[in-house]
Amino acid sequence: MVTIVFKLSEMGTVSLDIDEPVPFSRVLQLCAQKTAVDIGGVIAVRGGRLISQEDLVHNGDQVDVFPAISGG
Amino acid sequence: MFSMLRIDTATETVTKETSDSLEYLLGGRSLSSHLVSEEVNPKCDPFGQENKLFFCNGALSGTNVSSSNRLSIGGKSPLTSGIKESNAGGIVATRMAQQGLRCIALEGTPPPNSGWRIVVIGRTGTEFLDGSFLAGKGVYEKSDLLSEKFGSKAGCITIGPAGENLLYASGIACSDPHGVCSRYAGRGGLGAVMGSKKIIALVILDDGDRKPDYVDQEKFNAAAKQIIKLLKENPISSKFTKYGTSAMVDICQALKVLPTQNFRHGVMEGAERINAQALYDTIKERDGEGKTQHACMLPCAIMCSNVYPDKEGHLLCSPIEYETMALMGSNLCLKNLDTIAEMNRIANDVGVDTLDCGAAIGVAMEAGLAEFGDDKAAVAMMEEIRHLTPLGRIIASGCKIAAQVLGVKHAPHVLGQAIPAYEPRGSKGMAMTYLSSPMGADHTFGFTLRDEEDTLTKKGKVDLSKKFQVIGSRMDAMGTCNFVRYSVRNDMTPLLDLIAARYGVEVSGEQFDDMVKKTLRIEHQFNTDAGITIADHRFAETFYVEKQPETGEVIDFTDEETLQAMQW
Repeated sequence: MVTIVFKLSEMGTVSLDIDEPVPFSRVLQLCAQKTAVDIGGVIAVRGGRLISQEDLVHNGDQVDVFPAISGG
Repeated sequence: MFSMLRIDTATETVTKETSDSLEYLLGGRSLSSHLVSEEVNPKCDPFGQENKLFFCNGALSGTNVSSSNRLSIGGKSPLTSGIKESNAGGIVATRMAQQGLRCIALEGTPPPNSGWRIVVIGRTGTEFLDGSFLAGKGVYEKSDLLSEKFGSKAGCITIGPAGENLLYASGIACSDPHGVCSRYAGRGGLGAVMGSKKIIALVILDDGDRKPDYVDQEKFNAAAKQIIKLLKENPISSKFTKYGTSAMVDICQALKVLPTQNFRHGVMEGAERINAQALYDTIKERDGEGKTQHACMLPCAIMCSNVYPDKEGHLLCSPIEYETMALMGSNLCLKNLDTIAEMNRIANDVGVDTLDCGAAIGVAMEAGLAEFGDDKAAVAMMEEIRHLTPLGRIIASGCKIAAQVLGVKHAPHVLGQAIPAYEPRGSKGMAMTYLSSPMGADHTFGFTLRDEEDTLTKKGKVDLSKKFQVIGSRMDAMGTCNFVRYSVRNDMTPLLDLIAARYGVEVSGEQFDDMVKKTLRIEHQFNTDAGITIADHRFAETFYVEKQPETGEVIDFTDEETLQAMQW
């Protein structure tokens, strides 16, 4: 089970069962399919570190996902 | 042809010039930095006769294109001693377009002991009026008096008591769509430059009759609709609409780069009390005059601004942005949105940059003048600016001077300008952007944070910063809001189509970026000619030797790497 917490989003928390490590981009695809929401650009943080679309997400991981905005 | 009004503040004479160069066509920072570079002696006294202030609107000002009415203000900065471009939303750029103006230049300085003047620009000409009735008043009161005298739809530019008294962190306030001078070109002390010219207000009347000309109006309208479509369909823009920039509080806290305790830490316990959701919920709950969405200029489909109400629902401050929430909030260990709003309101009223003054108060707290987390003390320090006490003058001179006067080594600035709201040791991309900007530490100059694969390594960050220096400068280069960039980041065609349809000038994406890079080159050259060296493009030594507790990182860039990021 991986837990994806979408901050400042109507998606809320999404849990996914994965059998093996998968790229974060795939995790996002699965979340979008499950919730039918256009996710758009995101900043994803795991354990205080940014993760990229290619980084593998493992069973038990929690990833916080933020809209990829900037300051003004 | 594009017009510039030159106003000599010494002789009170006005001349009009025209040009059809590409710089004038694009306007914005392309024009303001070009004019500063061409006409201002880099070694001049920022408050002397040789400095000039250029107010430029952009290529699409005065049209119906969303978010295209930024006002770019350029001059030599007293804060950095280098070139400065600072821009603001509001209605001034629109009013200038309606008067047929691309640029207004304030030149010269009047003789000593001259009185305050108001410059009024209208369809029938330009006149100088006595401005003494505004002197010493806060910007909100000035704003009311200007509206009363010239109408609430006039485009007004004014300064606060800080600018009148030549304090280095003074900003320039511009009218918002409601006639309140609350949209700030806050950075770099240009408000003090305006004060040195004894111009207390510049008013562009709402009697302009110039309508935009189009080479191909049908094509222009279609392209304008395309911009709206892109903004509406972009999920990031919709987040801006709901939360504004305040969404950065949670992101920076998660990445451990939320400035805390005078940039000693990157995480603040209790940050959720001042985050985007708290701001949104507070505004909704109090209702009244509060607004979670607000346009700082017209038209704007993003509407990232807000109106923060007090407990009775009356307007307390508009807008509150992330950088202020961090520099006047977490950086001072304050966890109360009302306190941040009150400090922001005072900053807007006395006419100072919230970032540099927030950083200066952080320095003052580190010096022991007050405890971190003391809301009342923080507000009281802002009030010291209003009363122009010695401490108030120090704080309104920015964090570098505050640190020098108060004996604090950990001074969060580069080139004399306070670091914005991203702890540089925890974000090496942002650190490189701060180091290499010709404007002093500036986040909008090259916002890398969302695109850093590993925020803690310096590997690849020179190139990443340079990439985003170009992307970040594109919108400034033509007077368009920075937040439009999300929709055209990979393809500038929609904006270039608008330029082609309006002016009949085809500019390719490559040509446009060449123009952006040329602007960067001339900005750096101005600074070199002003005597600024690579030694000025450094953080305080403490950032290189003291590890950020949460990341264990220090700044590890060399001067050579900074120089690479400054080569264009």
